[in-house]
Amino acid sequence: MAPFKLDLKMINSEILPSFSLTIEDSYITTIYSDTDMQGELVQALQNNGSMTVFDQQDGLYKRLTVRSNIAFYRKWFGCQTPLAEILVLFELHTYATVPLHKCSEFEIRRVYYAKYFMSGVYPMIFQEPIHGADIRTINTFINMLQKLTDNNTPVLVIVSNMEHALLLGDVAYKLQEKGLHQIEIDNEDNDTTETETSTLATKNLFKIPAKVDDKVILFDPPEIDYIESQGGKAMIVINGESYAMDSTLTEIEKKLEIYGFYRCHRSYIVNLQKVREIITWSKNTYSLRIDNQIQSTIPLSRTKIQDIQEKFSLK
Amino acid sequence: MNIQRISAIFEKDIKDFMKNMMLLTMPIIPVVLALIYDRMGDGEELPLMLIYLIVGVTFSAVTASCMMTMMAEENEKKTLRGLILSPASFFDIIIGKSLVTGLITMISLAVSLMIIGIEPFLNVQAIIGLILLFLFFLLLGIGIGLFSKSIAATSAYLMPVMFLFGFTPIIYSLGLNEGGMTIAIAETFPIMKAVEAHDNNSWSSIGIIALWVVGAALFMYICFKKTATDD
Repeated sequence: MAPFKLDLKMINSEILPSFSLTIEDSYITTIYSDTDMQGELVQALQNNGSMTVFDQQDGLYKRLTVRSNIAFYRKWFGCQTPLAEILVLFELHTYATVPLHKCSEFEIRRVYYAKYFMSGVYPMIFQEPIHGADIRTINTFINMLQKLTDNNTPVLVIVSNMEHALLLGDVAYKLQEKGLHQIEIDNEDNDTTETETSTLATKNLFKIPAKVDDKVILFDPPEIDYIESQGGKAMIVINGESYAMDSTLTEIEKKLEIYGFYRCHRSYIVNLQKVREIITWSKNTYSLRIDNQIQSTIPLSRTKIQDIQEKFSLK
Repeated sequence: MNIQRISAIFEKDIKDFMKNMMLLTMPIIPVVLALIYDRMGDGEELPLMLIYLIVGVTFSAVTASCMMTMMAEENEKKTLRGLILSPASFFDIIIGKSLVTGLITMISLAVSLMIIGIEPFLNVQAIIGLILLFLFFLLLGIGIGLFSKSIAATSAYLMPVMFLFGFTPIIYSLGLNEGGMTIAIAETFPIMKAVEAHDNNSWSSIGIIALWVVGAALFMYICFKKTATDD
């Protein structure tokens, strides 16, 4: 199959900008946006492009077993992959004889994945596929994406969570009122030729300033969970709340290094003290789980895994 | 039309039928009714009207009701979304479901007729009459199933179908004037025409039932057009 050209130039929407995008069949494309924008985008895709968006709002046959459901959809969509292989691919083989109404939400979600996988729709567009899913389910989804790219099916994933966009996509875009922009993913840190001007200030620095409306709030470095870059601005994240900073990520990275902060991704600096878990996804991608109330996960670059293992003396 | 898709729907709906208590109890109604009438008859042969009452109950409570419940459930639980890729696949769904309904109706009707004695039905007109009646109720069920959005709504729609078309022979026990309007109208209804065809082997009565079937087909077509333009 060939790359799919997505053209949303003819739409009249208040907030959705017009753009065109080629969804390649050799890698996964993700679009990150806020939820309002996402709603508009999905609407535009369904109405203007009359495309199917997999949003898991359609029903499954709750009285039937997992196997019966999958067998039905497989036959209906005329899928060539053997039934047993599908069950294993989505880690459903142990639940094959369980009726759907007795399955957990994660198993049901994997049945959805299987259904979408077998549907053979071109191109495949997923909306929030792994939102709230557990690690096992996310892994089956990543495996499925791998299979789809092997079959040269163009795949687009629409998410409202930057971490998910970076985890799932080989190429991630950010959709804003201004238009569609690619988020640079990999980390050839070539622009770190910093001019060391504020060395004196660094030594006396104990607090990190952030602006909320007109006030300036000063944070203790240890209470910060992580810092992420949003549109060139660094944002301090503490328990899911973001506070804007005036400096860029590269500037703040230098200052926070001595407090045990680490640049784990092009757009993230993490407080190593707060890392609870290093998650290894399939296809060699990694995330860090932060020890806060909402258990946020942030991406960890492939090239930084060595470094981080050394830091935690794992090697 | 795609045989593989039809058989996929057929297999799925048979499995689903076996697990659905609401549908599973329906085919039992005519069987129970047949048992009761058989007892009441004390071994004598039942009047034709009562036999056709059982036939009417089978077709309305099993054929029409199963069909509309199955379709309404797919509507209600949004399982149709994602299945319908083209109008052609929609017909595959209807044909698959009709086969399931047909099978269940046949079993239920055969069992109830065995109980009260199947001999009166072994002639051409009676059998053609039964087949036409089945088609009439099936098409009616599909039509209603197309526009009903929930299972609860189908119970309401089922009532007029059952009382008007299923229980028509009961009209004689209401004590109405023999030559009156109501009786005259009721006698043109499909079940009554089937009784007539059975009684005096008349082909014209069969023709009138066939007209009813065409009417039901028209009704289904209108419902289909309406739901197709709604989306």
